[in-house]
Amino acid sequence: MKRRATNLVLPAVAAIFLAAAFSERAQQNPLGHATDFTSESYFEPPHEQQVKMRLSGADASPLPGGLMDVKRLRIEMFTVDGRPQLIVLAPQCTYSPLDGMASSSGKLQLQTGDGKFRVEGEGFLWRQGDSSLTISNHVHTVIDLPALQPPK
Amino acid sequence: MAQTNPVAPAPAMAATNVLAATNATAVATNIPAAKVATEISSDAADFDLNTRLAVYRGNVTVIDPQVKMTCERLVVDLPAAGAHLSHVVAETNVVIDFTDEKGQNYHVTSAKAVYDYQVEGSVTNETVTFTGSPKVETAQSTIESEPMIWDRTRNKFQFISPRMTSHEGLEKMTGTNNPSLKLF
Repeated sequence: MKRRATNLVLPAVAAIFLAAAFSERAQQNPLGHATDFTSESYFEPPHEQQVKMRLSGADASPLPGGLMDVKRLRIEMFTVDGRPQLIVLAPQCTYSPLDGMASSSGKLQLQTGDGKFRVEGEGFLWRQGDSSLTISNHVHTVIDLPALQPPK
Repeated sequence: MAQTNPVAPAPAMAATNVLAATNATAVATNIPAAKVATEISSDAADFDLNTRLAVYRGNVTVIDPQVKMTCERLVVDLPAAGAHLSHVVAETNVVIDFTDEKGQNYHVTSAKAVYDYQVEGSVTNETVTFTGSPKVETAQSTIESEPMIWDRTRNKFQFISPRMTSHEGLEKMTGTNNPSLKLF
């Protein structure tokens, strides 16, 4: 339990300090930014050592209000045994570390771990707390399905 | 909606006054199983990744190699990795169009359609249950039934207390080659 709490708190605290540091630095140096940041959340016990969700970005720049402009957003969700369950990709978004929300008017791609369910759209809101995603425009999904199997 | 084997027998309407069991063994073919793609387009969508639920909203269009469907709201249970799509609910102004291998066109309308897919042992159940004033139209006839079930495994419709309107003359209705007359 202690480990899980630590795992959950550290990224959040880090994100808060990161956002605060960005805000301060942004005032001094508008070009200040971070690269390759990651935030992870974990499963409930007894699987508290397994990563449930990982949010990462290649580049993050501070915005007013503690927000971050994230380039190359990547959200990964995993099964309890560590297999990739879902991947969300967006070239750009605004991320709010305090409430765990990422949004953009730009494009987004989503696919399941096996690649058989793929979604594209424009404009999205990702709510990290309940792992929900809303795509607001031009949603297009492709589902690969096996044809019926003949009887044995 | 999910895909049936593209070489399955042409849909043939078969009416029953009592809902028949929909269990059926998958249609045997010599063609190896292949992947087929189903595409869904909509104005907007919500994905709950904890419950693995996708809700498509506004001008929803579903296209697979056999069927085109439109509706206003579509709820899809996202399949687990490697699994088949198992449960889909289409709501509001549901319209389905498809053509069987004999070239017969089918136009189905209803307020709601529920797709279910299950495999138990070697038995595959794949059905679409239409409710809310369902109606299926062909060149020969229009049939209304509440509910109406499309057994996609056997490619047959099942009706409860169906009401049929023929689009052809009475003399043709008594002909043995009219497939719609095999309904009753």
